[in-house]
This record gives sequence, C-alpha cells and structure tokens, in this order.
Amino acid sequence: MASVKLKNVYKRFDGGVTAVSDFNLDIADKEFIILVGPSGCGKTTTLRMVAGLEEISEGEVYIGDKLVNDVQPKDRDIAMVFQNYALYPHMTVFDNMAFGLKLRKTPKDEIKKRVREAAKVLEIEHLLDRKPKALSGGQRQRVALGRAIVRDPKVFLMDEPLSNLDAKLRVQMRLEITKLHQKLQTTFIYVTHDQTEAMTMGTRIVVMKDGFVQQVDSPSALYDRPNNMFVAGFIGSPQMNLINVMIEKRGANIHLVFGGHDIKLVESKAKQLEGTDYIGKEVVMGIRPESMHDEDTFLEAMPESIVEAKVEVVEMLGSETLLHMFIDEISCTARVNPRTKTRSGDVVKIAIDTNRVHLFDKETERTIIN
Amino acid sequence: MLWNKNLEEEYIYRGINVKLFQNLVYQIKEVIEEEFGVTDETGLILGCSNESRVGGIHPSVQKFAESKDAGAVYNGVTLQKIFLKNKLEFVAFINTSDSSSQKFLSLISINITNIKYYFEEKFDKGNFIKNIILDNILPGDISLKAKELHLPLNAFRTVFLIKTGKLKEIYSHEITQSLFPNKAKDFVIVLDDENTALIKELKTGDDFKDIDRTAKSIIDTLNTELMVKAQIGIGTIVDNIRDLGRSFKEAQTALQIGSIFENDKAIINYNNLGIGRLIYQLPPTLCKLFLKEVFTVGSFESLDTETLFTIQKFFENNLNVSETSRQLYVHRNTLVYRLDKIQKITGLDLRNFDDAIIFKVSMLVKKYLDKAEKLV
Repeated sequence: MASVKLKNVYKRFDGGVTAVSDFNLDIADKEFIILVGPSGCGKTTTLRMVAGLEEISEGEVYIGDKLVNDVQPKDRDIAMVFQNYALYPHMTVFDNMAFGLKLRKTPKDEIKKRVREAAKVLEIEHLLDRKPKALSGGQRQRVALGRAIVRDPKVFLMDEPLSNLDAKLRVQMRLEITKLHQKLQTTFIYVTHDQTEAMTMGTRIVVMKDGFVQQVDSPSALYDRPNNMFVAGFIGSPQMNLINVMIEKRGANIHLVFGGHDIKLVESKAKQLEGTDYIGKEVVMGIRPESMHDEDTFLEAMPESIVEAKVEVVEMLGSETLLHMFIDEISCTARVNPRTKTRSGDVVKIAIDTNRVHLFDKETERTIIN
Repeated sequence: MLWNKNLEEEYIYRGINVKLFQNLVYQIKEVIEEEFGVTDETGLILGCSNESRVGGIHPSVQKFAESKDAGAVYNGVTLQKIFLKNKLEFVAFINTSDSSSQKFLSLISINITNIKYYFEEKFDKGNFIKNIILDNILPGDISLKAKELHLPLNAFRTVFLIKTGKLKEIYSHEITQSLFPNKAKDFVIVLDDENTALIKELKTGDDFKDIDRTAKSIIDTLNTELMVKAQIGIGTIVDNIRDLGRSFKEAQTALQIGSIFENDKAIINYNNLGIGRLIYQLPPTLCKLFLKEVFTVGSFESLDTETLFTIQKFFENNLNVSETSRQLYVHRNTLVYRLDKIQKITGLDLRNFDDAIIFKVSMLVKKYLDKAEKLV
C-alpha cells in the first residue's frame, strides 16, 4: 500500500508532440482513482509513466515517499492489468497465476500460498485446475486480475481492463473490481474512456483532455459542478445540453435569450452573475437532460422558463424515457418520466429547471456559474 | 518394457531418434566389454549393450538422479549424469567400478551430447525456421527439408519481431512461447538479448486486425509479466514457407522505420509505414540537400518546443486556425501571431497547403537524418 504523487509531469514524444502537460496529482494510500478522457488525451501515457514503461520528460513521480523517476518498472512494486490480456492456453489457472512468480524464481511454497490467497479473494479457488478454454469471459478476466494480485503490489495500475468485454459482463466486472479494491485495501489507478465506468467505480476522477488535467474531483462534484464545458459535456450520459444564449438584465432579473425563447434565471443563480461582465454577452447554457421536464406539475411551477420543442425520437428505456428533440434548431435531449404521453413528432412544452442551469464562457469554455 | 516401439522405427524421444542411442552403443560395444548403456533421468533404458534391457528401468538411476552427485557408484555400477543446457537429460551407466569406467562414461557422455546437438541441428523445426528467416539455407533445400520435417509448405504465416529492453534474468521468449505453445505451428526464435521472432501460422480468414490483436496481446502480456517496454514489427502475410525470410526482413524494416518516425508506437506493421517508408529509402546526402533548400541555415533549430507543438496541433486540426487555437487554449490572434512568426523564420506560411506539406515532409526528413546521425 502506498500513496502516489505526480509533480509537474510532462511527456514529450520525438517531433514535438506533448502527450501530457504539467500533470499534478496526489493519490492517497488505498484510494481508487480514475483517469478518464477521450482517446489521445494522455491518460494511458500518464499511467505508463507511473509504471515506468514510459520515460518522464519532465517532473517527478513518487510512489510512497520514494522518487521513482529512475527506478526500473519491475522494482516499483506495482502490478498492471491491461485491456488485451491473454492467458497461457496450455496452462491451468493455477499455473497462469503462478507463471510470473516462477519467472522471478519465487520459492514454490510462497507461490502456492500467494496463488491460493488470490484465488480466494477472486472466488476462483474451484477453477485452479482448469485450462483457460474451459473458463467463461468473466472467469478469464478474474484470472488476469489474479496474475496481478499474486505479486502483492503496493499499487495496481489498470488500463481499460474491461474494454474487450461485452456490455453485460462489463457491468458485472465493474462491480467485481470495486469489491476487489475494498477487499485488498490497496491503491488503484484505473484508466478508462468510459465515463460511466469512471463515475461508478472511482472515489475520485481525473478528467483529461489533450494532455491537460481538466478537473480532479469526486463523481458527484464533477457532475454537479464541472470546471468547464468539456467536463460538463464529457461527464453524464446522455450528455449535458449546450445552448448558446444571450444574458439580458431586466430590472433585478436576469434572462437567458436564445432563438425565439426567453427564460428567467432563478434569483440564486442571477446573484452569482452580479459584478461579472457577462451581462449583455453571449454565453453557453448547460442543462442536464433530467433538468428538462414535460410534466404538467413542472410546467405549472416554472412558467417563466418554458420553451417549445419538436420531438424527433422518443426512446423508452423502462425506468426513464429520453426525448430527442429540437428547440428551434438546437438538438437537445430530455430525460423524462416513463409515463410521459409525448410521442415522436409532437411539439411539446418543456420546462427548464433554472436552478440546475450552468453557464460557460463561450471563448475560454470555463464555467461562469454552476 | 515401458514402450513397445520397435527400435527400427523412427521414434523420437527427447528430440533424438532412439535408434541413434542403440547405434552408438553397438559401436562402443566393440571397445568396452562390460555391460553399459544410457537412460533418461527416470531410469528408462534407451540404449544398452545388453539389448534385452532396452525399454526397461535401471534400478539405481532414479536414486542417483535425485542426488547432487554428478557421478557415483551404486552396487558396483558406475553412473554419470549428462546435462544438456544445464538440465539433467540422460544418465550413462557401466557395470563396473574400476578406474577406467569413469573415463568410458565421459566418452559416452560426449557422444550423447554430440548426437543431441546434431539431431537438433538437423531435425529441429525451430532451427529450420530460424535458418529460413536468417537466410542460412539454400532456397532449393527449403521445400525438401520442410517435407522431411512434415511442415506444410503452403500455409498463411507472418513474422512478429519482438524487441524488448535487455533483461538480466527473465526472457521475453518464455512469455511468448507460453502464449503460443503449439510448437507444430508457431515458432519462437531467440535472436539475441533483445530480439525474439514469432513465426505464426494464421487461421483461415485471419486478417491484419487479428494480427494486430495478437501483437497487442503479446505487448500487454510482456508489460504485465515482465514490466518491460516492448515494440513489435510485423511483416506481411506469406503463403509459402520459402517467403518467411522476406516477411522477417519486412518486420525488421518496420521496427527500424518505426523507431525513427513512430517511436511512441508499440506495434508497427510493414503494410502501414506511410511516408516514412519513402523517406527511409532516400540517401542522406539528398535529404540534407532538401533541408538546405527548404530552410536557411539554423532556421529549423530556432523553432522552440512550444512552436513545434503549435505546428503539430495545427496539422492535427487540418490547418484550421479556430479549432487549433481552441485546443491550445490560446486566442485566435495569438495563434495567427505564432504562424506569422514561423513564416518569418522559415519562409513557409503553414496556412498555405503547399507550404504545410513542405514543412511536414521536412520535419520527417529531419527526424530521419537525426536518427541516422545518432546511429553513425
């Protein structure tokens, strides 16, 4: 068990490409931290720098109190699990898990002990004599995890380990890995491009884009208080609706105007805009799908924030219904009650909950109010 | 008798035709009068001057094999261990304990070792494949030898050349061999401390996506098990065993070109080398001439890392100023200023497609020359 610290870390590849810029992060001992972002954002490169598989161009990486910049990967006391894991086809589960230890010339009794312990944690003791061919996808994934666990590392590094699994198995393994973290009480650093995976597994999430850290926060804070438009759009599914609006001040009230629509901002939000120079300017309004309502009760309660929308597609998901619609020519999604009577092609009234509105600077994309 | 194979048959045991053990014993029998022979480490008699004992178990060998002694006398029988590649493979015995017995056994050991190496050299499939990829066999002999070794001439195969950092104790080939244990179809060949070649027979319908997936799983397994950085060069798919040498050379070229132009990539496919393939073929003098023509002396060097990063992003965004400035978190005017500065230094306006192409190619040529100079 150990903390991990990255201090002003940069990764520059030959030819001037900077994959990671000024990365700073303190990961506490036993923490489950997720690096998330779109493809090419530098999350895997960062993980590989912690592992030592990628050289650090600038900055410092600490595991525990030890500076590990010049420490060989195998001496960093870490274990990695990757996306394209492969089991040795002719070996039993036991041998698959023991192989790395055998190569390191670990005494036989120690190997036996560690494999048994790891198998117990992963609940695969009954499979130890089987060959990979006789295992299900989930069981194979557990064996791959077992290969890392037997090393008894201070830190686990996982690079999209669930990407090759089908959707159902991915959900199941997500839960398994979370439980594993609780059982092992070890530091986990987990890389994924899937924001749902990030939100459901991590205690803290690092959102990255173009090699830069955008925000480091708890899942709920990222969802409710994004630092910028990228984080707002990336976290959440369906993603936040983003609409260009004009801010107008009328007396003591603030109105957001777009297309033929005009909605009044609630007082608490309006106050946050006081003293800023955004009045009279165009900004981007962000509104989550669940903050757009078609129910009568909301329409009655929020008469000053109603817009008209043409519904293109209605997606019934059982516990909720998604309305994919156009407000003027802006494509939006609303997550509404499954008992809604709205159908494709309808023109409906939608109430925007302005308590939940976010505003972003159009130029810098930074958050103005959350 | 533990096996009922007729010794006249071509029965291979531990990589040696068992007939050869008995042939050797027949030849030595003319010199040594006492009963002698060879067993494996479990005591199974593979050859003996008393032919009726072949296939039986020698009563003293197992106990001797478990001891730490290299040679010993048990119940009047002198025994000697025969190690091959540091592993106990055979035991030679002679039914006497006089002073000359040890000498006889040493001579038998030397002969057995030589037979083993000769047999390996001649009949080892891996060795045969190694000779093909390293051009150590005449093209005309390949078909003949392949038939002799029961290797299909026509099968889809490709070469993966795996390069890792130098490892002191553990070797990447053990991992690769364990991932592809089918020794009749896949061959793992150790070339040196850093390079291992995998010659893999492909399944019908396997395409480059499958090959790429295989390469990824090798890289990820090496990373996981050995915690070592690895790169793989992949040759083209060949359908005749004779062409494996070509596929191997292509894999080598892929790694070489990849190390110049795509150093951050772990998997480099010969079929996907892009413009790097063209530049790699150019003579350095021509490249220098080209750079001299494009840049005035020192102008390229005067571009700092930030400027190069800006250029890289500008190219990535298809010369789109707005999108590039957005991604760089700078004002559009700042980017325009930077592009003007680049034009002033290099004489190339990167907003212009022709100039952008010249700059892009120049960067690649410079990369190639820098690497070539380093190698010199």
